Amino acid sequence: MFVPHSDIDLKKVFNELSINSLSELFSHLPKELILENGVNLPDSISELEAIEYFESISKKNKENLICFAGGGHYDVYLPHTVKTLTMRPEFMTSYTPYQAEISQGVLQALFEFQSLVCDLTEMELANASLYDGATSIAEAISVAINKTKRDEVVISSGFHPNSKEVVNTLIDNEKFKIKYIDLIDYKFPKDYKFKDTDAAFVVSYPHFEGTAEDLTELVTKAKSKGIVTICYVDPTLLGILKTPGNMGFDIVVAEGQSIGTPLSFGGPTVGWFATKKEFARLVPGRIIGESRDSNNIKTYVMTLRAREQDIRREKASSNICTNQTLNAIGSAIHLCWLGPEGIYTMGFQAMQKANYMKNKLIEENIEVLNKDTSIREFLIKTEKDVDIVIDKMADDGYLAGIKYSNNQILIAVTEKRTKDEIDRYVNTLKKVLDE
Amino acid sequence: MSSGGNASSLPLVGGMPEPTIKELSKPGRRAFNYPKLDVPEEVIEHEAIKTEKAPLPEVSEHDLVMHFSRLAHRNFAVDLGFYPLGSCTMKYNPRFADWVASLPGFSNIHPSTPSHLSQGILEILYILEKYLIEITGMDYASFQPPAGASGELTGLLIIKEYLQRKNLNNKKNIIVPDSAHGTNPASAKMAGFNVVEVSTDINGLVDVKELKTLVNDETAGLMLTNPNTGGLFEEEILEISKIIHSVDGLLYYDGANLNAIVGVCRPGDMGFDIVHSNLHKTFATPHGGGGPGSGPVAVKDFLREYLPGPIVEKSDDKFSWYQPKYSIGRMHGYHGNFLVALRALAYMKLLGKEGLDDLGSYAVLNARYLASVISKSLPLAYAKPCMHEFVATVKDLKKSHKIKAYDVGKALLDRGFHSPTIYFPLIVEEALMFEPTETQSVDTLDDLSETISIIIEDLKLNNQNLNTYPKNLPVGRPNELIPAKHLTVNWGDFELLEITE
Repeated sequence: MFVPHSDIDLKKVFNELSINSLSELFSHLPKELILENGVNLPDSISELEAIEYFESISKKNKENLICFAGGGHYDVYLPHTVKTLTMRPEFMTSYTPYQAEISQGVLQALFEFQSLVCDLTEMELANASLYDGATSIAEAISVAINKTKRDEVVISSGFHPNSKEVVNTLIDNEKFKIKYIDLIDYKFPKDYKFKDTDAAFVVSYPHFEGTAEDLTELVTKAKSKGIVTICYVDPTLLGILKTPGNMGFDIVVAEGQSIGTPLSFGGPTVGWFATKKEFARLVPGRIIGESRDSNNIKTYVMTLRAREQDIRREKASSNICTNQTLNAIGSAIHLCWLGPEGIYTMGFQAMQKANYMKNKLIEENIEVLNKDTSIREFLIKTEKDVDIVIDKMADDGYLAGIKYSNNQILIAVTEKRTKDEIDRYVNTLKKVLDE
Repeated sequence: MSSGGNASSLPLVGGMPEPTIKELSKPGRRAFNYPKLDVPEEVIEHEAIKTEKAPLPEVSEHDLVMHFSRLAHRNFAVDLGFYPLGSCTMKYNPRFADWVASLPGFSNIHPSTPSHLSQGILEILYILEKYLIEITGMDYASFQPPAGASGELTGLLIIKEYLQRKNLNNKKNIIVPDSAHGTNPASAKMAGFNVVEVSTDINGLVDVKELKTLVNDETAGLMLTNPNTGGLFEEEILEISKIIHSVDGLLYYDGANLNAIVGVCRPGDMGFDIVHSNLHKTFATPHGGGGPGSGPVAVKDFLREYLPGPIVEKSDDKFSWYQPKYSIGRMHGYHGNFLVALRALAYMKLLGKEGLDDLGSYAVLNARYLASVISKSLPLAYAKPCMHEFVATVKDLKKSHKIKAYDVGKALLDRGFHSPTIYFPLIVEEALMFEPTETQSVDTLDDLSETISIIIEDLKLNNQNLNTYPKNLPVGRPNELIPAKHLTVNWGDFELLEITE
């Protein structure tokens, strides 16, 4: 399959190599390693049969659940224009743009991605993507450790548990101490005392629980101790929220799924990483720069290559090589589709609809734990076991949210949800809780 | 001219540089459209809300489509031509796999959906695990690692955790061949190991004598790809495996070169304990201009409980998530690059046993053929028969005519081919590394070989002007120093630089 050789071709090749069979190609391998009967796997199926095969498996997933789950991955509207442009085969089937002269398309698209991320977050330098939001947090912490040569990390407990686990895997906890700080009323404690030995202050904006606050004072305090400040942001809210750059953060990272990528069961998505130029030489991953060719024509090229693993080997700033370029291009296209008014509307509608939903829930005597401080995502308390609630809601066509604890659900509202969906959700939930 | 060959693939329509989308922006233009707000609007006061709008470009939908389509036109791709890129396995990416990945039942599922509501996804991962472990000769796999480098780190963290549980705390060294990919030493360092390099002998294989002197109680393991980065099969792999295992070290297989041996032999049978596969290489998922990839890690039975979890389990026809007992922890926010894994399974279903059994054989056949015809104009680095890729060198041409590997690569761009991998492996002087894959036709291989001999004659004649290649493309060689020195990494940076200078 997908091997173009005809019998005539094979004859020509066999002649050139003076062989009579494919197995002769491997006569220098240890005999005991050769698979005499090949692999023990099912026979090939045609494309037509495979359509049926994959469609039937896809239907075993509960499709078309109305999604009120978030936690970094959001069911926002992804325009066809963005999907089809991103899927252009020249983007999709190209290699990493090491050969700049025939890769200007991908290079410029990534340069524009970097610039758009910088404009949106008010930072100076973004890379060309990392794997996802969770791994980007760990990479940012590594930068802070390398920059400060300190070994303690102050991190808010308001992160998705999976993200905390990734940080725990990727940051060597024999060498470095990760200190999780509990939120008070879903906010980072304003009077927190940073120490001169802290390398990083890491906080999510909004917190995993949905509450957002102006972090300027905390950032100023941390920076006065020489601490690198890291903000993990929900990019779809950057049309309405103060930017991390404005609050003074040194590094901004994000889960970029909601800008340009379908939910995809969490992957592939894209990690955004932006910072100040003073950190340039510590940044993980690829960076695209603008230059000129010998005729002074605008040319884009991969730059600051001396940080990367293929050159620096064990001294590299990160081991990342393959990244999430196509998803980064998707982010760039989606951001341009949105423009200033679109990204504002996306955030504004999400916040208005969340506000409407919170009021509706409260009318039905369902407790909302962070009503006034949350933006588009918030916690509710349920008397019933959350697993049962989520199950019953799914029977009625809803993905009710993320299980936060045995009696708390984290609900996310995007601009895509309608008044009708929200009304029915609240009624169904009321019914489920009253049963 | 035959298919896929000379200049049929120059993709670079339009000589003028494309303006940035910011330069195309005009106040008041828009592409977006959303339904009107259907809930009563309220004034919401909040300390984090801003009043000014985000400074994004303002373009019409047609502007947006034209801009990114024009950018696409300025890029080479597998769909346009031949990438003979050594160690990258740039094979044809079947369209069908993209269709499968676009099914809403896969692409629109939120990752926190409970397992009983996402049985189809778990089933896909379960079946793909069965394919991967059969092909590699392992027992269990995790799909968490989103790329090869992440797979490497996963493998090394598994080694570390395993050795700690066995109280073998003095084992701090990971042995890596001097020909290895840069990600190998970078990952080993990240996992907290010391990197010990073993030399390559004159035949291009691991120097087993030297290896014996490097291996001791402090050896935690060996990272190796087989065939190695020179495209040669490590014939003494069983001996190498015995040496490492004799001191309780573990063997890690870097799946970069797996394409050479699919259906032929298996890392598990060679003695490897941990294997990562690059689904974006071996199993034909599109490379996306640099990603996404997928780097699942497969292990032997005794390492199952160390895998990054959760992994899929099946009982009574139900699939569920299982958390391995001594798991090294998550490598990704959710379950790795699921849609990439799905594409790989689509490819494998189409290939089936017949296609998979032939995969390595045709990949090696094409490389062996290309090596044979190219060797008439360029000497090969090693005398041994190659597997799926081979290394040629222009060190003689450098001496006689100052022609470098870089120049050959750049001259190829003019003629519709991507450059081969150059200056890798690092141990070969002026290296050009070719990997044709099994999906290129013999005609295309002949075209490439012919083009290389023409280029060499051309470069010899014009060796006073080598840095003018490529000549026929809208842009020439970029000045690489400007952005590195002045950090022109954001729109506006370059103009600012011109004003200040």
